[in-house]
Amino acid sequence: MGKTSRRHVLKGAAGLGLLSLAPLQQLRAQTSEITVTSFGGIWEEAIRDIFVAEFTKRTGVEAEIQIGGPAQWMSQIEANLDSPPIDVLVNTIDLALIAGETGLVEKIRADKVPNLAKIPDRFTDVVEGWGTCFDYGAAGLAYNRERLPNPPKSFVEFVDRCAAGDFVASLPSISYSPTPQILIWSFADVFGGSVDDVGPAFDAIKKMGDNAIFYSSVTEFLNHLASGEADIGIYWDGRTWAYYDSGQTWIDFINPSEGSVMNPVVVQKVVNTPDVAWDYIDVMLAAAPQTRFAEVLNYGVTNVDVVYPPELAKRITPWEATRWPPFKQIGAMIPKWVDRWNREIGA
Amino acid sequence: MAVEVDHGAGVAIRGQAPPAYSPVSLRWVWPAGLFLFAFFLAPLVEIGLRSFEPSRGAEEVYWLVQYDRLLLDSFYLGVIGETIGLSLVTTIVSILIGYPVAYFLVRHAGRWHGMIIFLLIAPLLTSIIMRTYGWQVLLARRGLINETLIDLGVIDTPMRWLNSPEAIVIGLVHVLVPFMVLSIAAVLQGIDTSLEESARSLGAGRLRTFWRVTLPLSLDGVGTGAILVFMLANGSFVTLLLLGGGSLQTLPLLIFQQFNTTRDFAFAAAMSNVLLVLAIACLYLQLRLIKRRGVVG
Repeated sequence: MGKTSRRHVLKGAAGLGLLSLAPLQQLRAQTSEITVTSFGGIWEEAIRDIFVAEFTKRTGVEAEIQIGGPAQWMSQIEANLDSPPIDVLVNTIDLALIAGETGLVEKIRADKVPNLAKIPDRFTDVVEGWGTCFDYGAAGLAYNRERLPNPPKSFVEFVDRCAAGDFVASLPSISYSPTPQILIWSFADVFGGSVDDVGPAFDAIKKMGDNAIFYSSVTEFLNHLASGEADIGIYWDGRTWAYYDSGQTWIDFINPSEGSVMNPVVVQKVVNTPDVAWDYIDVMLAAAPQTRFAEVLNYGVTNVDVVYPPELAKRITPWEATRWPPFKQIGAMIPKWVDRWNREIGA
Repeated sequence: MAVEVDHGAGVAIRGQAPPAYSPVSLRWVWPAGLFLFAFFLAPLVEIGLRSFEPSRGAEEVYWLVQYDRLLLDSFYLGVIGETIGLSLVTTIVSILIGYPVAYFLVRHAGRWHGMIIFLLIAPLLTSIIMRTYGWQVLLARRGLINETLIDLGVIDTPMRWLNSPEAIVIGLVHVLVPFMVLSIAAVLQGIDTSLEESARSLGAGRLRTFWRVTLPLSLDGVGTGAILVFMLANGSFVTLLLLGGGSLQTLPLLIFQQFNTTRDFAFAAAMSNVLLVLAIACLYLQLRLIKRRGVVG
């Protein structure tokens, strides 16, 4: 046996280094694994325990979950489009449309995804076929009922009473990605503006003045309510109920009279990824996994065959009763709105 | 025996063949050099190139468009001013708090020296997010400080501590002051106390001795600490996001916004470059200032 020299060791180390730079896609192909995406916290637990478990049971293929946010995932895909590090992308509508237009994802195919037939067309049309929606949240008013026994019943009352100093409100800041839909467009819609005229929304936010504070993450909103920094705010129905179920029974949710703002979550197949990714999407659209997902997250799901348990049905905001923002037009306006926000609101 | 240093192959004895292997060979620099190239220089070039691209769907597409937006618009100039201003204030407050602590640590701590060092370093072992959330709990409208002040009858209604520039400075100083203390303490430790004793024996009072002897000799540590704190404050992000509530707008916050909300990578790249140039310029000015005082170099 030859003597091991320093040169051999260096060569070996260099070889190992090069191996670590080999395309991850090839390695993943060998190990029959795909990479799917999820938001953090309870979302990730539900994705892993329900969709990934069911997918692996059906196909024998493992799915690794990458936690994060759509903008970050899209940047990763964009950086390596020939061999993307992500196979299935969970996305917001505005970014889902951009992902489609910029060639990051494929059009969804009924022949590859049989459960697509069980999803109302509106959820596929809203993303122009660049995937479809599998669940949705509704942005209404979450509040601390111990400190605010008489909460506002509408967005107009919410703004007026906040401006009058009745309570401190927590609003999503411009650093929170759904803010253009759930705050700027929503207020513009409620106060007589439109996607082309969001002046009334900015006026309303300014009117709330120092009695409005801003959150940049879903957790921060709950901290605002728990610490007493705010009494009420614009928030998601599902996350409110999940927090309630964790023992924080002082929190409550109102669907304002104008209607909460619809915010569906889109699932998309990334280009240049294996066909088995379609199977994962099919699992995400199936009735049984969606029902379990709704039970865990308290969010509405999109398969028409899903029957919510009675207690859950009371909490779910029906998608037909929500306001649907013009997602595509909003997507084009976001840079202008962000710039205006920075100059006029600053948070 | 004559010995000369050969930078390529280490120590060689004149008249003999150099040894084949030496631990001081420049070859060992290669891994670090490659790492620096792959994960610092190459991305820096990429960011530099990206900053000359137009934004997606933009009407104006000339190559300096992003820098024009940043440097010719009073709003963004204000943001740059707030970024530098916040770093300066944080640095000054850190010096004012850090110097006495470092002085006590070196001159008076005695057997508590190790414990104080541990207490200084221990917070660095905790996530910055946890520490910042801690301040949220303390400074909240119904947080510990407001509740205590109300219970003591000092105030009637809760004061607004959070979401203010003051809250940001408190959070940043809490995170960064250990860097200042350790930098100053390291230099104070090396000052020969007989110099101070000489000044005292020649009639200088405590204050004058400190002002004319100790402080000038420790400026090197103050300078190092100031550079560290200034640079870290310049790029800070989490503290501003969680404690600022939009009361201050700095370049790191706007860079995050370009990635998270508008996906305008070209504008974000231009902001990153401006932030980098600002940091280098401030570093240069601080070094010049310290050199002029005759402490460094």
